Amino acid sequence: MDRIISWIAGAVFVFLYIPIAAVIVYSFNASEVGYRFDGLTLRWYAELFGDRMLGDALRTSLVVGLAAAVLSTIIGLLSAYGLVRFRVRGRAVFLAAILIPLIVPEIVLGVSLLTIFSSAGIPTGYATLVLGHVVITLPLSTLVLVGAMSTLDPSLGEAAADLGASPWQTFARVILPLLRPSLMAAFLLSFATSFSNIVVSTFTSGVGTTTLPLRIYSTLRTGLTPELNALGTLLVLATLGLILVVGVSQMRRILAGPPTPAA
Amino acid sequence: MNTRHRAVGAVLAVGVLSALTACASGAGTDSAGGGSSSLSIYAWAGEIPDSVISGFEKETGITVTVDTFDSNETMISKLAAGNSGYDIVEPSQYAVQLLVDRNLVAQIDKSKLEGFDNLAEKFVDPSFDPDNAHAIPWAWGTTGILYNQACTGKEITGWADMWDPAYSGKIYMLDNMLSAYIAGLQVEGLSATTTSQDDIEKATQKLIEQKPLLAGYNSQNYADLVGSGDACIAEAYSGTTAAKAVMANPDVHYIIPEEGGTLWTDSFSVVEGTSNTDAAYKWLNYTLRPEVAALLTDDASLASTNAGALELVKDQSLVSNPAIYAPADSLTKSEFIVDPGAALSYFQDGWTRLRAS
Repeated sequence: MDRIISWIAGAVFVFLYIPIAAVIVYSFNASEVGYRFDGLTLRWYAELFGDRMLGDALRTSLVVGLAAAVLSTIIGLLSAYGLVRFRVRGRAVFLAAILIPLIVPEIVLGVSLLTIFSSAGIPTGYATLVLGHVVITLPLSTLVLVGAMSTLDPSLGEAAADLGASPWQTFARVILPLLRPSLMAAFLLSFATSFSNIVVSTFTSGVGTTTLPLRIYSTLRTGLTPELNALGTLLVLATLGLILVVGVSQMRRILAGPPTPAA
Repeated sequence: MNTRHRAVGAVLAVGVLSALTACASGAGTDSAGGGSSSLSIYAWAGEIPDSVISGFEKETGITVTVDTFDSNETMISKLAAGNSGYDIVEPSQYAVQLLVDRNLVAQIDKSKLEGFDNLAEKFVDPSFDPDNAHAIPWAWGTTGILYNQACTGKEITGWADMWDPAYSGKIYMLDNMLSAYIAGLQVEGLSATTTSQDDIEKATQKLIEQKPLLAGYNSQNYADLVGSGDACIAEAYSGTTAAKAVMANPDVHYIIPEEGGTLWTDSFSVVEGTSNTDAAYKWLNYTLRPEVAALLTDDASLASTNAGALELVKDQSLVSNPAIYAPADSLTKSEFIVDPGAALSYFQDGWTRLRAS
């Protein structure tokens, strides 16, 4: 029975990752058409590095993603702290209001945001992009952090207070470190959502601030080239690299054992 | 503070700083645009080659920012919201009419244009833009048929072949309402630009009749499917993708159907209310030059509307590729697809019924 389950699990993983493997393999395809493999070449990588517009779009996406994820995580943390810790009147309403962008179709959000920005006279650009992305990532980070805060053992905070720590010290030196994995999760989830977002970005982007998914989506009409496979491969490698770095530091921490009293 | 806090603090600081500098540089270039030192273009991806942009920047010293959209509808809604910040847009022919109806594009001052006579006759005073009052055509193409002769076994001549049960399961139509109706209307001998409800209904019935034979509605990778032989025949747009498919596989051919087919044109228009009119007209004049227009074919594999550009194209095999430049005699019955206006609702109703059937 265990073997069958592990076979099925293996098959599911293969199914999930074959498209990614195909993207990487075809990034070296010498053929101009996608259905044939004509030999190996690095020409698409050369084209990618020379493509100014794609590079600009990537930079825009990274900057907006980082900014939106940071803002979203901070606001989410503060909301979670307030919602879980204190008996706020209208708590359920507040939570529901934060979660509304999850349910409302993105195109409705996008059009409404564009209308608001243009009525308020805010020119579309980085600011509107970040604000738009915060709207759609805030529910995610709030949910993650509310869940994490709810599982925190309240007696730890009380113990810290008991030992003379001020509320700020309790927050900074007891709560935050305990929440670190969840903060990381909320940040990465928000970043990933913002980075891959198309619909809201379409309406909130401005002159010179086209994001990467928008740029790729707009090339559908004239045909996708393996240059995008090269970009995909580099993004996969960057993600793997990031995970490796984080994983290595985690391993070191585990191997080093719990911190000594002097730290 | 221990190293972990410092690391987190550093990452946050870097993130915020880069966001701020990006905002600052973004705002900087926007506000510096006051005179004619910058130009913002909103266009289709792949239709303005880098060589054209860098040539323009070098000659005039004006910084060009090109943003791309995926559909005319996105572009129109961005402009309609106001304060888009764009100076030049590149609408398709029916989108020009929609933009004019909403007063989103300015009237072109012919006295400021140089080289307008370089445009091919077909694109001067077209049906969708009388007297070229609002748009200067740049690129054009056709909607036709891409087929694989090894798969079909014979030469294909028109839309009627796409209703042939012999190819059942290997036929693709474009996933675009107006494009699909081109086939449905023209195969019945009706005009692709009709606004008559009866005509549209006849076409809907014909398309519903075709649906069981189709492998699907596909606007993304039909060229690959035809090229590999997975599909025999597909409704297709001319241009880069079709051209690549034709060049890569000698069995693949692109034809304009004998019933007529249609033409599409992407033109440059000046956005209403822009302050960069000088730069905008410099761009229009630059792209009207035959040697610049020839770059569209050489670097982007698209057909240029410029009559003088044909002989200046470096790679002449692109000029003789019917998937880029359709031969003139095949275009005698081709029409421009225009905005159906009020008749749009008949198309939409028919399309909804077709997709649900």
